[in-house]
Amino acid sequence: MRNKSVVTEGKQIQLAIELINLGARLQVLESETGLSRERLLKLYKEVKGESPSKGMLPFSADWFLSWQPNIHSSLFVDIYHYLTEHTELRGIDALVKAYRLYLEHVQANSLEPILTLTRAWTLVRFLGSLLDIVPCKRCGGHFIVHRLELNGNYVCGLCHPPSRAGKTKKLAAELTQAALAA
Amino acid sequence: MSDMMGEIRDLNLTYLMLAQQMIREDKSAAIYRLGVSQQLAEILADLTPAQVLKMAGSNVLLCRLRFDDKLILGLLTTHGRDHAMPQSHAAILLAQQPVEELA
Repeated sequence: MRNKSVVTEGKQIQLAIELINLGARLQVLESETGLSRERLLKLYKEVKGESPSKGMLPFSADWFLSWQPNIHSSLFVDIYHYLTEHTELRGIDALVKAYRLYLEHVQANSLEPILTLTRAWTLVRFLGSLLDIVPCKRCGGHFIVHRLELNGNYVCGLCHPPSRAGKTKKLAAELTQAALAA
Repeated sequence: MSDMMGEIRDLNLTYLMLAQQMIREDKSAAIYRLGVSQQLAEILADLTPAQVLKMAGSNVLLCRLRFDDKLILGLLTTHGRDHAMPQSHAAILLAQQPVEELA
């Protein structure tokens, strides 16, 4: 038996259910709860009513560096660090709380929640190896960067947006629709 | 003038009661939302109704504007096309600010 204590197992099941509801992939559940793969599969089907998606996790560190994902990911990591610095939350508990606060921000501002829980989890694991956080020279906010690049004079994507920043296909379609409606 | 004193007292009372409710419901989230230290959050949550009333009856406001940085204020009042991005920028900068704590 992997779990001797019923209370511990109960807590792990509770955490797993919370993670599943937030959209976590099976690999995250396996890594963060001590529960067996079989139990997690059963739990996932019970909570979601469908099997978890198979295949590899999104593993690219580059995703966190393109303009819009970088802003969302940086905000999430800043909240995460705020919580680990100023509260007793650590590890997966801090991650879940930070992710909920990120979702709240996204909803309050009618944005797309482009950072999934699984990506947020991957991001925290990448910090210190592939990715790093540096302050923007202009605004002082902390942003995610490649660890191996020279970031001494880093200026963030919000202080200095690239010319095509935010001009997504979706926005263009919306503008066209609005023009047609007018 | 006495009207203003009454309004200040009301706002203080509302702020303290909301803060207490937030801290009791979810302390960690409240520490983030209020921008206070854990120690201060615990003291606020433990205030008795009598202490809350006494504090609220002050002639000065007990809550302070968190956007004292010109840049943050500028970001929040910008109404550009990408309205939500200044809000995200402000949230990133707020997470960097020091918390209110006991000296």
